[in-house]
Amino acid sequence: MTASQTTAGSGCGLHRAGPMANLFLLIALVAAVFTYPGVIAGGAVLVAVVVLAVASGERPTRLVYGLRFVLLFALVLFLSQALSVRDGHTLLAAPIRITVGGLLAGAGMALRFVVILSASALFVRTTDPDRLAGGLTRMGVPYRYGYLLVLALRFVPFFQEELGAVREAQRVRGIEVSIRSPRRVLHAVRYTFVPVVVSGLHRVESIAISMKGRCFGLYATRTVSRRGPRSLWSLVAVSLGLLAVGLATAARLWRWVT
Amino acid sequence: MSSSERFDIDIRELSVHYPDREEAALTAVSERIGEGDVVAIAGPSGCGKTTLCRTLSGFVPAMIPAEVAGEIRLGGASIREMAPETLATRIGLVQQDPDAQICTLNVWQEVAFGPENLCLPADEVHARVERSLDALGIAHLRQRTTTTLSGGEKQRLAIASILAMEPRVLLFDEPTANLDPRGIQALFVTLSDLVRGKGRTLVVIEHRIDALRALAPRLILLDRGRLVDRYPARERLDYALLGLRGAWAASPANAPAGPPRLRVEGVSFGYDQSLWENLSFSLRAGEILAIIGPNGGGKTTLLRLLAGLVSPTMGDVVRASDTRVGFVFQHPHHQIFERTVRQEMQLERPSGGASIDEELRAARLSGLDDAAPLSLSLGEQRRLTVATALSRRPNLLLLDEPFIGQDRRNVLWMISQIHGMIARNGAVVVVTHDIPLARALADRVLYMEKGTHICGSPDEVFSRLRERGDGVFTPEAWT
Repeated sequence: MTASQTTAGSGCGLHRAGPMANLFLLIALVAAVFTYPGVIAGGAVLVAVVVLAVASGERPTRLVYGLRFVLLFALVLFLSQALSVRDGHTLLAAPIRITVGGLLAGAGMALRFVVILSASALFVRTTDPDRLAGGLTRMGVPYRYGYLLVLALRFVPFFQEELGAVREAQRVRGIEVSIRSPRRVLHAVRYTFVPVVVSGLHRVESIAISMKGRCFGLYATRTVSRRGPRSLWSLVAVSLGLLAVGLATAARLWRWVT
Repeated sequence: MSSSERFDIDIRELSVHYPDREEAALTAVSERIGEGDVVAIAGPSGCGKTTLCRTLSGFVPAMIPAEVAGEIRLGGASIREMAPETLATRIGLVQQDPDAQICTLNVWQEVAFGPENLCLPADEVHARVERSLDALGIAHLRQRTTTTLSGGEKQRLAIASILAMEPRVLLFDEPTANLDPRGIQALFVTLSDLVRGKGRTLVVIEHRIDALRALAPRLILLDRGRLVDRYPARERLDYALLGLRGAWAASPANAPAGPPRLRVEGVSFGYDQSLWENLSFSLRAGEILAIIGPNGGGKTTLLRLLAGLVSPTMGDVVRASDTRVGFVFQHPHHQIFERTVRQEMQLERPSGGASIDEELRAARLSGLDDAAPLSLSLGEQRRLTVATALSRRPNLLLLDEPFIGQDRRNVLWMISQIHGMIARNGAVVVVTHDIPLARALADRVLYMEKGTHICGSPDEVFSRLRERGDGVFTPEAWT
């Protein structure tokens, strides 16, 4: 998923929620899967993230495509745990020993990883960084730190654009890029990432000039002229966050008591 | 300084020397610019125009290290004592590359960024943003994401975001570079209002000095870092004689049209919405096709289609089987991969043909073999990307805005390369906003606007544009 392509408040679902409500929801979902690590909790939170993404206008196929590398890495995590953890009932003894405990540990870890990445991607996709910076400023966070976040998000589409342009330039120049051998990987890094990074460094410098040229840092505070939208979705986001943390804490306490 | 104070600029014996350059960027430049003056700064690429603007706005040496001698006084006070963000309340600089100026992800927020930093009340911020968006004709874009804008739209946004801060002195570094003719006219109406109505001082760097006629500027000529000449306002000048871009003598290649090089058959294309539908034209060897039209009309996208980098939604682009495409992008840095100019020329180079030394000499890049390509000036980078494209011996050359930011000498060099292609039985497609140049150069013109296209001989296309009230896209509007 890419950085916000629509303005908060103008889309549907979490696009309509306030940036601070979205930030709270993200923190709460991540806290929930760490408070009660397990397959059921991880699965439930993942379902909630998918439902929220669809309600916010994401197509499920695009969602899966956007997370393809995350899912691939989650599979690696699952397999590594399933093959190395040997607790509980043995399901398969040879040629590799697979246990119920290993499968549960693998599934739990993979789900936690997918939840954190997918919830973060949904947050980036549905939250207007400028409004988020404004929200943080209103909460007393110095505006310079808020704008660090805006700039970081500003660079997500920039790197995507640059990468696209560099790939097209490679095709035009007849530069073949593949990862079939270590030598080819080095070749790909040299002719892909180096131009993109060099371009990025130039851009950082020019944006710093541009910000100073528009009086950034002149005063200790700055005006926040647009407030986050007030909508039912802010309430939904906060309520869901509280519910997730509440249930995870209760489940943890229950397990501890029993 | 109070608001009633005069903001005259007094430049005294200003010299600037960058640490990584042998020659000084500016040498003993002295000039007085009174409040309300309109000054155009012109001169060949690399003559120090941008350095002068960056020094006036305090970025050199505060953010771009350089040795600075001499003095600049604004309203009697030395600017050396002022931080760039303080100076920015009085002097606003619109940089050359609009992409490099955009700090946020939303158009409205981008224009509000400066006024918010000035700690203005929210109502005032809103009023200034709306005024600036209206002045640049981009109010309809206010909710758009900045990364989805075309080059011209970004340029207007960059200008609007500086205007919203209402500085007394406005510095523009090639403001027309990415604008279509309609955008250029609208910009100069806005600038005229600022000068005549509000007494703002304007300093404009511009290669296309003809575009500035309406503002009747005082002209300052720089060459190799020195101020070499001054011409008072309203003096009628022959820009070509001064070595500047202006009128162009007709220079079609006059080669007999050869076999078809490519056919575009009923092509439609669009991302979310259709950019154009049912576009058809053909191009023969020996022909130069100029593509003109407003920003956001899909000109660059068409070049990418012709190069086979993207596929049409409908229709077909048919290239002759022996076609070898050379494509020069709008931004040279996207096409530079190596550490030195020579390595860049060697990269994926086909065997045979002229030697690298000959090609570097032809591109006026001799002596720069070991230089890092990205440290070259924009004009030199452009010549390098053209040279690397030509070294692959293409017979279809696609040029995307090759004349942006180029001085007269570089433009003439580019024209000579285009004519060379035609002489070798190649075909050339060039996207440009420089209408007089398109008229002088092209055998055929394709006008593209969202949903509309007109293709034919230059006379046919310009005549139809006049009929439909788009005279601003005809050469007469710029002479």
